[in-house]
Amino acid sequence: MKKSLRFLALAIALALIAVAVAPSAQAAQTVNLVLMGWSSSPSENERLQKIVDDWNAANPDIQVTLNQVPDYDTTLQKSLAGGEPPDVFYVDSFRFLDLVRAEALMPIGEKLTDIDDFYPALRNAFTANGQFYCPPKDFSTLALQINTEMFEAAGLSAPTTWEEMRAAAEKLTKDGVFGVVVPADFARWIAFLYGAGGSVTDDAFTKMTINSPEAEAAMEFYTGLYLDGFAKTPADLGVGWSGEAFGKGLVAMAFEGNWIEPYLKDQFPDLKHKAVELPAGPGGKATMAFTVCYAVPMKAKNPDAAIKFVNYLTGAEGMKAWTDLGLAMPTRASLREGWLELFPNLEPYLNGAEYARKWQFVPGFQAVLDKVNEQLSLVMAGNQTARGALAEIERVGNEVLASR
Amino acid sequence: MAVAAPSIGKRGGFQLSAKGQERAAGFTFILPALIIVVVFIFLPLFSAFLISFTNWNGLQPPFEAQGVGLRNYERIFGLDGTTVVRDEFFVAIKNTFYYTLGVVPTQTALALVLAFIVNQQFLRFRGFFRVAFYFPSITSSIVIATIFLWLFNRNGVINGVIGGVANFLGLQYSPVTWINDANGIIHNFLRLFGVTIRTAPAWMTETTILGQTIWQWISGPSVTMLAIMLLAIWTTTGTMMLIFLAALQDIPRQLYEAASVDGATRWQQFRLITVPMLRPTTFFVLTIGLIGCFQVFDQIYVISQGNPAGTTKTIAWIVFRNLRDSQAGLGAALAFVLFVIIAVFTVIQRRLVGKTVQQ
Amino acid sequence: MSTSAVAHQPLSARGFALPPNTGKVVRAVVTYSILILFALAMIMPFVFAVANSFKELPDIAANPMRLTPGVRADGTPYSWTLQGYERALNTQQINFPRAIFNSFFIAITVTIMRVLFNSLAGYALARIRFPGRGFAFAALVGTLMVPGIVLLIPRYLILNQLGWIDTYWALLVPYFADAFGIFLMKQFFESIPREIEEAAEIDGASRFRMFFVIILPMAIPALTAMAIFAFQGTWNDFQGPLIALNLNRDLYTLPLALAFLRGVTGDAVQWDLMLAGSVITTLPMAVIFFIFQRFFIEGVSYTGVKG
Repeated sequence: MKKSLRFLALAIALALIAVAVAPSAQAAQTVNLVLMGWSSSPSENERLQKIVDDWNAANPDIQVTLNQVPDYDTTLQKSLAGGEPPDVFYVDSFRFLDLVRAEALMPIGEKLTDIDDFYPALRNAFTANGQFYCPPKDFSTLALQINTEMFEAAGLSAPTTWEEMRAAAEKLTKDGVFGVVVPADFARWIAFLYGAGGSVTDDAFTKMTINSPEAEAAMEFYTGLYLDGFAKTPADLGVGWSGEAFGKGLVAMAFEGNWIEPYLKDQFPDLKHKAVELPAGPGGKATMAFTVCYAVPMKAKNPDAAIKFVNYLTGAEGMKAWTDLGLAMPTRASLREGWLELFPNLEPYLNGAEYARKWQFVPGFQAVLDKVNEQLSLVMAGNQTARGALAEIERVGNEVLASR
Repeated sequence: MAVAAPSIGKRGGFQLSAKGQERAAGFTFILPALIIVVVFIFLPLFSAFLISFTNWNGLQPPFEAQGVGLRNYERIFGLDGTTVVRDEFFVAIKNTFYYTLGVVPTQTALALVLAFIVNQQFLRFRGFFRVAFYFPSITSSIVIATIFLWLFNRNGVINGVIGGVANFLGLQYSPVTWINDANGIIHNFLRLFGVTIRTAPAWMTETTILGQTIWQWISGPSVTMLAIMLLAIWTTTGTMMLIFLAALQDIPRQLYEAASVDGATRWQQFRLITVPMLRPTTFFVLTIGLIGCFQVFDQIYVISQGNPAGTTKTIAWIVFRNLRDSQAGLGAALAFVLFVIIAVFTVIQRRLVGKTVQQ
Repeated sequence: MSTSAVAHQPLSARGFALPPNTGKVVRAVVTYSILILFALAMIMPFVFAVANSFKELPDIAANPMRLTPGVRADGTPYSWTLQGYERALNTQQINFPRAIFNSFFIAITVTIMRVLFNSLAGYALARIRFPGRGFAFAALVGTLMVPGIVLLIPRYLILNQLGWIDTYWALLVPYFADAFGIFLMKQFFESIPREIEEAAEIDGASRFRMFFVIILPMAIPALTAMAIFAFQGTWNDFQGPLIALNLNRDLYTLPLALAFLRGVTGDAVQWDLMLAGSVITTLPMAVIFFIFQRFFIEGVSYTGVKG
């Protein structure tokens, strides 16, 4: 008995010590903020830490702790549900409307410096109910990667229209290499949907508009590349994603975001390639913007300090310090020239900002995205027609929109 | 469950005060654990149950959510005429079912066979084999999934080993993309005989039951799911082998000796002594295997996130995804449906195992 | 292999009148072949992972099958390296040594407390008659069938109410008792002959004295089993610490740190880092396992017999 009790006492004592050692409340005069985000590449993590450190050195009254967490969505969700969210946090445009609907975000857009400088498409991605909620910290767009060696050997120039791209894909499909890699992925096909002049839903997300002749043309073009044998999926080629297929020289073209650039430089330093804007469809140029903002919660404890900090991060100075890494792109038009001097090869991606569409849907729409991916694979396998696929997507989508 | 409530012995001679004392002691003994279990298991469970009747989005404090009655449950079974949630649920049912059907019998049978082998009397290095078989079980699921992700890489060790063996046998092997292959293994098998979706009979490809055609229902687990199944079998077989081994060693030797004196053959001994004596253990192993399989989550989370083409969406995975994607009320309802499924299967299994052994 | 061993024997020796020696040899060969094959299948993934964790990143990608450094395309050899480990241990945002301490501290404390609380509760359920006992037991068993993920958010809300988020309390207290352990202990205490307690009762020992002095020492095998499971489960737990910690990265445990590393590596997984992190996460547990292997094996064996 004594032994067990001693164990118990020891355990409790240890636990008490541990809790006593855990960080306690800080001094009162300085405001302490927590910036929460997900962790990305080591170089990005280090850069952000440095920006935060510089801020802390310059602002003794507002001290910021950077916290990058694993499993970000769960962590953010539980802290919101618990009523104690971090002072500043990342919000992906994809999740933005969920959070607005849950009244989790404070609209701080109007309180920031020179908001007209943000690209309209990106500001729009974080605007709801007529209010600009949170400033985009950076963004990525899709562009077309072409293998310049293969293009030169075939005497081709970079395609600017769908027809030219198709012709190039046909010509470049030879000797075990395919023209282009086409994943059965809505996040890629949607750029073609918009390029054809189509749309997914109406602006208010009340009903699907995807079952249209434009959408059918987009699906037939995209899947046609595959069915006619000029394209393969990453899985067909035995790779994890399009970037890998392109890097290994299995295909001459790939549609990817600017995140492919550091990857190619790292893993395939000898590859000769360049990015060009996505070829224009019958509806004109189109691409997708994937963007993230710095949000302040509705229940912020120190909203003024948080806004001041966000204003720094997304202001000209803070954003320059961040985007000069050359990974994600600056969301302020005024930074364009300076940035392009550093990274001229990324211009096609940055140009996309002018006509990019946002990657954003309503809560529950994941089921529709899954359905689109499924139908794309069915069409590509020859087991479904484009028209049938769109009808099925429309049916499911309308059901989801109706059940909101 | 496996245990009947203990019959409290007639312990005559107790005074009333003794009974009171007994009660007090009972409560005191159980109190510390009771507080923990009530606060950290029952209370969350109860709130999750309440949440399953709301439209909680998981992003605001839950008391701000609105009640929706049975609507979440109706959507799961399509009783309100909608099909989106129902179809996904039945895809998950299909995937979970194939997963369980592949994993539980395999790991149980393997564990049993290995236990028999290790139990042979002449065996030396028994300790080594036990340690080797158990080692995967001590490893964190995150580590195991990480290592498997690497091993099953297209250019990874698994393809290397298969390729090496194939090469040795003079066969061709084109590497499989384990982590991203949505083809069902039954479909793949049928293809060997020229049966594909195009050549399959129309009643298979055109009859739709609960959102999937018969052809889709019989796909079998996808290649990616198969990799995850192998992982599960690899992790748990060792533990189960040890459990069987202990049960085998617990069977009194005299039983066998007596039986051989009576002229029973080895087969008869196996059938009449070993099998019945192993029955409770088999039930135990099947039950924990079944519960584990129905709840499979960590591996899916690390390896495939429900992909490719939804072929590794399990019930536990869609519970999680709905919790995360602003449909926490629906996610909670799915979790309770899963709970009922597990309870029902546990009971059925108990009946079945009981019966076959009786005959 | 087995057939060739048989083939060497004269014909008459096969069939039913196999000389005892031959039978034994065949059986031994078959037995050991199967066992070694399975043992290899169980161990080799770790061997590959450990060996590759000491290789250079391009070498891991090019020659995962080699247990020693390979050769580059231009003929120069790769070398052994500790780079993966250095990078893992020096990751700016994660304090791996602290995570090792946390994992030990939490696993040990939880194990001790759980053994105590579960055995007390198990004993009460097995032996002491009090109102609501049957219901308590049924409810307990029922919780085993509930998928753990659904408890995640509600449990967070409770920890939050208690003000325990980002403290050790949240990593410790909720795990001081668990349904499976109570179930296991109840099973065990029911197997102890009642006469022992009756004798003690006659001597006038109180329930508490009886429990700690007489019953508990008899329960060493069951306690060992439970301690092993508690330690193993707590050490490897991922979801628990994930919900208990919001901002305090100082309290990360090893699985959390490993998950964080995976986030760091992004799209192109850096396997040297990940494999090194996996080895660091597994190593302490493996050392404990090899030291106390007898108890592990006995512990596991124990559950089945009693199940």
